[in-house]
Amino acid sequence: MKLDSKVPSGPLEDKWSKHLKDIKLVAPNNKRNHDIIVVGTGLAGGSAAASLAELGYNVKSFCIQDSARRAHSIAAQGGINAAKNYPNDGDTIWRLFYDTIKGGDYRSRESNTYRLAQISNEIIDQAVAQGVPFAREYGGLLANRSFGGAQVSRTFYARGQTGQQLLLGAYQAMMRQVHEGNIEMHTRHEMLDLVVAGGKARGIVTRDLVSGEIRRWMADAVVLASGGYGNAFYLSTNAKNSNVTAAWRCHKRGAGFANPCYVQIHPTCIPVSGDYQSKLTLMSESLRNDGRVWVPEKKGDDRHPNDIPEEDRYYYLEEKYPAFGNLVPRDVASRNAKIVCDEGMGVGPTGRAVYLDFADAIERDGRKTISEKYGNLFEMYENITGDNPYEEPMRIFPAVHYTMGGLWVDYNLMSNIPGLFVAGEANFSDHGANRLGASALMQGLSDGYFIIPYTIGNYIADADIDEIDTGHEAFDEAAENAQQHIDKLLSVKGDKSVIDFHRELGQIMWDKVGISRSEEGLKQAIREIRALRKEFWENVRVPGEASNFNKYLEFAGRVADFLELGELMAEDALHRDESAGCHLRKEHQTEEGEALRNDEEYAYVAAWEFKGVNGELQEKLHKENLEFEFVELKQRSYK
Amino acid sequence: MADTFTIHLKIWRQDGPDKPGKLVDYTLDNVNEHMSFLEMLDVLNEQIVAEGREEPVEFDYDCREGICGSCNLMINGRAHGPKAMTCTCQLHMRNYSDGDTIVIEPFRAKGFPVIKDLIVDRSAFDRIIEAGGYVSVKTGSAPDANSIPVDKSVADTAFDYATCIGCGACVAACPNSSASLFTGAKLAHLNRLPQGEPERKRRTVAMVEQMDKEGFGDCSNYAECEAVCPKGISISAIAEMRRNYVKAALAGDEV
Amino acid sequence: MASFLQALKSQVGRKILTGVTGVGLIIFIIFHLATNLQVFGDVHAFNEAAYALESMGWLLYILEAGLAVAFLLHAYVGISIWWRRRKARPRGYEKYQSKGGPSHVTWASKSMIFTGIVLLVFLIIHLDTFKFADPGTVILPGGGEARDLKALMLATFQQPIYAFGYTAVMILLGFHLGHGFWSAFTSLTMKHNRYSALIYAAGIVFALLMAVGFLFIPLYIYFGGGCEAALIQCQ
Ligand SMILES: Cc1cc2nc3c(=O)[nH]c(=O)nc-3n(C[C@H](O)[C@H](O)[C@H](O)COP(=O)(O)OP(=O)(O)OC[C@H]3O[C@@H](n4cnc5c(N)ncnc54)[C@H](O)[C@@H]3O)c2cc1C
Ligand code: HEM
Ligand code: SF4
Ligand code: FES
Repeated sequence: MKLDSKVPSGPLEDKWSKHLKDIKLVAPNNKRNHDIIVVGTGLAGGSAAASLAELGYNVKSFCIQDSARRAHSIAAQGGINAAKNYPNDGDTIWRLFYDTIKGGDYRSRESNTYRLAQISNEIIDQAVAQGVPFAREYGGLLANRSFGGAQVSRTFYARGQTGQQLLLGAYQAMMRQVHEGNIEMHTRHEMLDLVVAGGKARGIVTRDLVSGEIRRWMADAVVLASGGYGNAFYLSTNAKNSNVTAAWRCHKRGAGFANPCYVQIHPTCIPVSGDYQSKLTLMSESLRNDGRVWVPEKKGDDRHPNDIPEEDRYYYLEEKYPAFGNLVPRDVASRNAKIVCDEGMGVGPTGRAVYLDFADAIERDGRKTISEKYGNLFEMYENITGDNPYEEPMRIFPAVHYTMGGLWVDYNLMSNIPGLFVAGEANFSDHGANRLGASALMQGLSDGYFIIPYTIGNYIADADIDEIDTGHEAFDEAAENAQQHIDKLLSVKGDKSVIDFHRELGQIMWDKVGISRSEEGLKQAIREIRALRKEFWENVRVPGEASNFNKYLEFAGRVADFLELGELMAEDALHRDESAGCHLRKEHQTEEGEALRNDEEYAYVAAWEFKGVNGELQEKLHKENLEFEFVELKQRSYK
Repeated sequence: MADTFTIHLKIWRQDGPDKPGKLVDYTLDNVNEHMSFLEMLDVLNEQIVAEGREEPVEFDYDCREGICGSCNLMINGRAHGPKAMTCTCQLHMRNYSDGDTIVIEPFRAKGFPVIKDLIVDRSAFDRIIEAGGYVSVKTGSAPDANSIPVDKSVADTAFDYATCIGCGACVAACPNSSASLFTGAKLAHLNRLPQGEPERKRRTVAMVEQMDKEGFGDCSNYAECEAVCPKGISISAIAEMRRNYVKAALAGDEV
Repeated sequence: MASFLQALKSQVGRKILTGVTGVGLIIFIIFHLATNLQVFGDVHAFNEAAYALESMGWLLYILEAGLAVAFLLHAYVGISIWWRRRKARPRGYEKYQSKGGPSHVTWASKSMIFTGIVLLVFLIIHLDTFKFADPGTVILPGGGEARDLKALMLATFQQPIYAFGYTAVMILLGFHLGHGFWSAFTSLTMKHNRYSALIYAAGIVFALLMAVGFLFIPLYIYFGGGCEAALIQCQ
């Protein structure tokens, strides 16, 4: 495996325009002769499919859900960043770039991150033209709000449903192309393998989730936009169908998996209430603007929170970080919540929660003001927990939210397998070791609308693509592989449910590969995951049949992949003997408990090459060194 | 820890699209008030799988936070259950008490054929959007986002209609199985924005026609759709759809 | 124009048709009620009103033809909507209930087809009883010779079957209008969140007025003993 980032030379600001100038084009009437597969219909896949189809390519689009509109991107709440500088507060492309790279704790590629900031403005233009109803001022112009990790107001939003509105924009653009006959849409199809023929990605194998049929699809290039792998933790804010299967099977076909250990944990989620819990619900970060975080000072203090007097409360964020207080970045807030709970000060029936208290804010601003700001969030909280946050503090706890790692890609967003492009959360590209709020939507759309449509043309114009058909041996092999995997899952006929395995894996991941990690814990995690994987293949029970709708079977396949990925995540976390962004190794913290980087040794992207799995997962590490020509590396501080 | 209680379920089981179906009785003894409705069904499925006598119940879901529109159950005869402005996945078991019987059926309509058990095919909605539910703007050809100011109240109302999650509850609850609220909501979103204005008539006619073709019933203004819509979308959207449709027809535009 | 007719066949078109014809019928019954109430007027008022209508000549025929078309079209579209509704959900729910709130699923709205068909059947009987019957004539003070509809009406409603039959049908008319009035506004695209509740309430009041207005007459005649009734002056 060779990692060539193909970053164009020249000044940061000119790299992308220079690259566009040098890119080869496919003649308009020739585009019709090229098929492109797009896996995923989230912001990244949806925007890519629509734009590629507009250009004239024949696009085949796939998703798991029953409609392209239901991709997990729909759930994004807060907003999308852009360097428009409409509020005139001094924002620039450079600042957006700088905040993003700093927020990522200097573990992303400068050139990619800069391009993201450059493209950000076009995304807003595009979305508005599609009819995305962003919030507006009374004057009729677009409104902005501020978001974590930035000192300017650059986040565009559509109430708490920004992801939904942006996704519907992309979905509608796609549907227009379906109407024009340029996109062939295949919903309820799960990609189970990548077909690599003649060294190039040439197609995929899917399972029709309704009929169970294994089907083959050929193309000149494949775009993978299958989202993140946060569900390796079982409980996360991700949708239930979010998975790593598509990416993992590409990895097994040779695509490098980069920085798998970078996982973002969101501090304000509704805590787990019981072992039937199936997912965690995010409560907007904005709550920390007015809510005060605390725990009882005495361990196991089981008084009702309203009965605990001021002097028995520990406002740990305010005490430890007087400057930022409750508004420290996500990773710091999450880590501290875990620390106090580990020390036995956690609250609620499980002891795994902290209070987020609005009593002072309500007293100061009045209930009406608070309800205007957060009314819908309070309602959502009450609906889920049955408690009224106007009367008593909310209970919150961190939850897995986003995965910065993903398939390795070069500047063109192409993986190391020629013809396999990777977009959105599925790639590792722009966020380094920590993603700032409101920048995943930006990245997904930038990849899909504005990068891949050009770079794929360059690839197609240049590549020597052989004439083959789906009868090619590579297709036979992949289809058989997929079939065998399914047969194997169904044939175990053990005693333990798929969900139990997933839950156990999640527990291992959360305890040892979660908010804070240690050498010892990671090693133990690797052992436990291996044992669990072994048990899975000996004792899993998958009900039903292959030839019908069968959700348990779908999940079984995904859990099998998570059981391998989990080991790689632990392996990657173990090898990265430093802390960076969300990756906190207990051995490497500042005195205040902040992530302590080791730029000398670890300023690189770790891209893993799959070598086999046989009891142990075998992976080979490749390094892409990160060179920082334009920014200076600094220690983050929020004191 | 909250006490657990018992719930009796009558769930529609159907093996495939053309297979017969029937309500099957189940009893769950360990329901917890904090469980969501879908988590209760998860627990049921785990019980079914452990017993190994029959296949688990298939039902649709994804986000489990009321935004993707996947979940779609008819709960005791009401789409998404008893609570207003709530999706099936946001319904919690604390709304039920010990010994209750709950009938669970799929969303039923000719336009939503059953795939298996409680899962239906809602692709008709995609085809309605495909007919015209978009603004024809190519990637890269957009003017600056602030070049056209939009009255805040117009933008806000457009947003209200744009919140539709495409769940299909409106069809399921409508005595006529009409898809007018879904179609009207998308039209009301796009038609009132300056960006959507140029295609307003064409879009309205095309989407109405497609809705007809999919075999959904007529709208008799029952407003039951508004009552079950998890986003509370108003049937004013339907009146507006009619207005635009008539305008297009009177203008004699190609329909 | 072709496209306009085409448009009327669509779902939206059909609703516009029920709405327009429904409103036409509403206007008609308002006039009809106004005419009927003349029986409480002067001795000849009722027959004079009927006579005035009949003297309109061809204009009346046009109005009647229009009314007939409206009725038939209204009934045809109403029945077709019901027919399509049955096809749109081939298999019904084992259990179904309304969620309440903004819903207007009521007995009235669910029974439009029933109340409508009753009205249609009633109409035929009604025409047979009054329009195409020969009640004999009466000379009006103005000199014209008019059909003595008043006498016919008084005679008819002395019979319990007519008096109570009409009353029952008028109650159903009330239900039909209870949903129909509001529905027509919405069908004809006049729906605004702010006024919606008001229009719905107005619809109920209107329906009540119409039903009570129409059923008052037969009941009054029946219980009041026709000509002896205090308010009705007979020759
Ligand atoms: C609760 C929540 C709130 C968030 N809020 C924000 C925010 O405010 N701002 C922000 O910038 N970011 C936010 N994010 C992050 C952001 O939403 C995601 O990172 C982003 O939407 C991912 O988009 P995507 O297109 O890469 O993938 P997704 O939207 O996850 O789409 C994946 C697609 O791939 C398909 N797929 C997956 N596997 C397969 C397979 N095997 N075969 C076929 N198809 C497959 C799926 O069906 C789906 O269509 C939030 C995330 C969460 C969970
Ligand atoms: C005096 C006679 C009648 C009056 C005043 C009347 C009035 C109305 C009105 C105002 C509406 C609402 C229209 C709309 O929804 O847009 C309506 C609907 C309806 N009418 Fe009538 N109507 C009468 C007779 C009939 C007859 C004879 C039928 C015969 C079948 C009928 C069947 C229906 C039906 C089925 C509807 C509901 C349409 C729907 O579901 O959308 N009506 N009527
Ligand atoms: S209009 Fe409401 S009920 Fe109908 S699909 Fe949209 S969200 Fe669901
Ligand atoms: S599961 Fe997504 S809306 Fe209910």
